[in-house]
Amino acid sequence: MSRSLHQKELIEFLHSIQRPDAPLGEIDEHAHLVDSGLIDSLAMIEIIGFLESRHGIDFAETGVDPDELGSVSHILDLIEAHSG
Amino acid sequence: MFLQRTTGELAEPLTGRRWDRETVLRQVSSRVAHLQKRGMKSGDLVFVHYGNRIEFFADLLAIWNCGGCAVPIDARLTPFEIETLAGAANPRFSIHIGELDPALAGALANAGVELVDSIEAGKTPHASLPPLSNFELDQDALILFTSGSTGDPKGVVHTHRSLRARWITLQQSLGVEKYRRTLCLLPTHFGHGLICNCLYPWLSGCDLFVLPAFSADVAMRLGRILDEHDITFMSSVPSVWRLALKAARPPERGSLERVFCGSAPLTAHLWGQIREWTGTRDVCNSYGITETGSWVAGTTVGDFEPEDGLVGVPWGSVIQIMKEGGTEYPPGFGEECPADTPGYVWLNTPALMKGYLGREDLTRQVVSQGWFMTGDIGAKDERGWLYLRGRERDEINKGGTKVYPSDIDAVAERFPGVNDVCCFAVEDALYGQNVGLAVALEGDDAQVRELYGWLKRHLADHQMPMRMHRVTEIPRTSRGKINRAEVAKSCANSEPLDLRSILRSGS
Repeated sequence: MSRSLHQKELIEFLHSIQRPDAPLGEIDEHAHLVDSGLIDSLAMIEIIGFLESRHGIDFAETGVDPDELGSVSHILDLIEAHSG
Repeated sequence: MFLQRTTGELAEPLTGRRWDRETVLRQVSSRVAHLQKRGMKSGDLVFVHYGNRIEFFADLLAIWNCGGCAVPIDARLTPFEIETLAGAANPRFSIHIGELDPALAGALANAGVELVDSIEAGKTPHASLPPLSNFELDQDALILFTSGSTGDPKGVVHTHRSLRARWITLQQSLGVEKYRRTLCLLPTHFGHGLICNCLYPWLSGCDLFVLPAFSADVAMRLGRILDEHDITFMSSVPSVWRLALKAARPPERGSLERVFCGSAPLTAHLWGQIREWTGTRDVCNSYGITETGSWVAGTTVGDFEPEDGLVGVPWGSVIQIMKEGGTEYPPGFGEECPADTPGYVWLNTPALMKGYLGREDLTRQVVSQGWFMTGDIGAKDERGWLYLRGRERDEINKGGTKVYPSDIDAVAERFPGVNDVCCFAVEDALYGQNVGLAVALEGDDAQVRELYGWLKRHLADHQMPMRMHRVTEIPRTSRGKINRAEVAKSCANSEPLDLRSILRSGS
């Protein structure tokens, strides 16, 4: 799957957990998801769940580097690294 | 003030900053000099409008050393809410760090509050180290606002006597050995985080490691932080644990000796997972209420198997389960429930608050004959172990942070076009509970957008409804009261507003 398709799917998922008034459609893909107010800090667990179930990434052993989940761009890098 | 004649050290694992005991004393002394220069008098109230930094603790001791009363404020509150709290407490000063939001500075100035920059205050020259004991036991020491930030603030007042009673009874029940390197990742503006997680160990001479509150970054790095700092004790809430268990690698050094989890129901399943991840069986469910100086009971019962609702044994308190919940029938006047029979949980403790700030009427609704009516439903078994079975209190427990429906009602009902409103708890996979709102509102979607904007201006983010329902009327009891559980039930069977679409279509 190409990066743009991953991105489309990720954005769609983020729409389902974002704060109601967060302007996700306009956000720069490098903007920080929590600092920019798009999602609650603890909602990170839902992103992790998405990456586990949709992309088979297992964080149980190594844990997660928070920076890897900081922005749309970083999450896409993580997906690509895992699928590569 | 100190239970072991000195504080411990302070450190911030994320920034690497660290204050040894001498530095703590110097920082406190500078702040004392600054506050005295500004004319602070005994009995003055001081807002501390930030938290979870090492400076917070120096400010707190400086306020106490000047004979003042500290009022830690949730930094997430809106200027409107801060102004409401200032109106109720009438503080002399408000201590902050860094640039203050102009609207907030204006709100505080309107309330006649003088601003103090903590960092600047910490640079004030001082002659000698103060003794750090310049207070009377029955002076007010700490006010923690638990609700009413949008209307009628409810501030729990603790004196030095009640705080000291809490810490001494904890020492006797828990000891301090396991707390010698304590981690705090709870907010420092509420009882669990401040009085028990931080001040109890730190004022007993243990070292305190302070982190940002409820932070995903922290939860995801938890294993590494525990290892790097050889943490022996930490307390947290279930929602933070769910994230840490999922995203953080377990600690490898085995330094943790005891772990508490509190402020929200802990399931047996999560309990077991925390034991496995932390590598210690000494994982306790802690039960506490701000009015009783937080921790009053927990699972320090030796080896046990986790059970849903299990709390354990009292710490420096007496617990009785009564058939009646009204203050006219406290223990000794009403009928006690037999073992294993649920009833109303009452507490007797020397750490009980002095009362609610300026609200003797509210104090009388929960305190009777020296007993405190918790509003919780529970039972004691034959061994005397407490089990919680539910709550009668009107609050939404959002991942350990309490949201009071009446606070949200008070803001929403002031919006033009709102004919009736009811805030209620909705189930939430992440937080356990979240905020729902049923509103009888005139107008179209544009009016919904206006209402949402109004709520955003007056409510902190954690108080914002995540689900809204438009209704024609709010059902009431024959006495005209709202039954929030009934409203929640009825809304659960209807489609909520599609807030994302409505809000987006107006932008």
